[in-house]
Amino acid sequence: MVNLSDREISAAIVESCRAGDRDAFRVLYDLYKDRVYSISLYFFHGDRSEASEATQQVFLKLMTSIGQFRGEAEFSTWLYRLVVNACMDAARRRRAEPIAADRPRLEAFGRGSSQEDDYARAQMAESVRSAVWALPTKFRIAVLLRYFEDLSYEQMAEALHCSVGTVASRLSRGHRMLAERLKDLVGTKG
Amino acid sequence: MTMFTRHVSRQLGALLDGELAEQEARRVETHVAQCASCRGEREQVQLGMEILRRLPPVEAPDAIWVGIEAALEEHRSRRVWAIRWWRLAFAASLILALAGGTYWSVRRGAGQWIETDSVSSITLKVGQIGSVEIAPNTRLRVVTARPGEHRLALARGEIRAKISAPPRLFFVDTASGTAVDLGCEYTLNTDEDGLGLLRVTKGWVSFQWKGLESLVPAGAMCRTQPHIGPGIPCFEDAPESLKKALETNSLDTILAEARVRDTLTLWHLLSRVAVEDRARVYDRIASLTPVPTGVTREQALKLDPETLRRWKDELAWTW
Repeated sequence: MVNLSDREISAAIVESCRAGDRDAFRVLYDLYKDRVYSISLYFFHGDRSEASEATQQVFLKLMTSIGQFRGEAEFSTWLYRLVVNACMDAARRRRAEPIAADRPRLEAFGRGSSQEDDYARAQMAESVRSAVWALPTKFRIAVLLRYFEDLSYEQMAEALHCSVGTVASRLSRGHRMLAERLKDLVGTKG
Repeated sequence: MTMFTRHVSRQLGALLDGELAEQEARRVETHVAQCASCRGEREQVQLGMEILRRLPPVEAPDAIWVGIEAALEEHRSRRVWAIRWWRLAFAASLILALAGGTYWSVRRGAGQWIETDSVSSITLKVGQIGSVEIAPNTRLRVVTARPGEHRLALARGEIRAKISAPPRLFFVDTASGTAVDLGCEYTLNTDEDGLGLLRVTKGWVSFQWKGLESLVPAGAMCRTQPHIGPGIPCFEDAPESLKKALETNSLDTILAEARVRDTLTLWHLLSRVAVEDRARVYDRIASLTPVPTGVTREQALKLDPETLRRWKDELAWTW
């Protein structure tokens, strides 16, 4: 999901942000916003309001403390640590009322993507989203971080507050759970 | 087929992601070549990865940036007085927001004391990483203020810290130990003897004293005592009977009343109860939530640090 040029650009931008350049903040935001929002949205079962709030909190925290950062790698790890914290804090707050992936929300979310004009592809995308939302929290956040940001296992371990071995285990299990849920749908791997 | 090596389920994702060291990758590949079960699992992991590629990224709504700008404006418009500590230069600026009272005893420089009277409260900006609200009747000292370490000493009273930074940059010393910020918001109060209470509202705080550590997540609290250090943390919404039992050290009640979420309390108890009670604590945690792979009863009862850490990592998802 992330190409090298994005990472190279962000190192220079982070430097400008540390110097207090407001325009650089906007560029940084534009660079990462869709990925942060996508992770949050898929984490929060398609709840746009919750995903927007989490994304906003992540960037506000980032902007108020970016002076602490020295390099791009550290920045990237920290950014996704903020994302994990925002998602997990919200998940804790909402634990009393577990979220069901309700049908109307699923369908509305499906209609929102211009890439899903084709009915069959839309059905497939909806099934994948449902399968991701059905993953237990710790597996869901791990596969989303890996897929949307392509962090190394070491970076993920730091973002997720766990060991590299635990990251490897959660990704393996998370992917297997997804495959198990969708094996009939994508049996041909096509 | 007879297999002489362990299954490699946990490493399959890392193998496919190219995250294994060369020698480990060879070992896993050799095993997979000989083991039908692991081959099947590798195909499943690969399929799971392919499935995720069908997940479209979603464009963030414009309203988010509007909200960020509004929040920044609001932040900027707050009425604050800024005092830059001449010795601390760029590292730590302290901003005093006087809230309906008088502020006394501010002297410049690290090592000096800050003291509020009975009606004053103060907001202290901690470098670029956050702020600390100092309640009335509080006395504290700025011990260190540099980019790699911000340290306060709380002699008495109450502070509310809001820190947004990598872990272990902000510390508060009290007579009963040190609160170590792990990226969080929390309230800490203490009397001059060190009897106090830590309540965390966001993120995590580690409270440490002479090698003893209590990890306190959002929604939980922890009492602190002089010469004993941090107590056993519990969630604010824990049953009242459990909270009272913690104060009276009534293990039977704690075990009986604990919910899944209260494995926070039980995990800390495991290493602090008498040896003969340890198995009861282990069994109660195991009855509330499945023991994860890699955690064995034998190692847990021996308090093997890696086992306890791994178990905590798993339990923390329910905290």
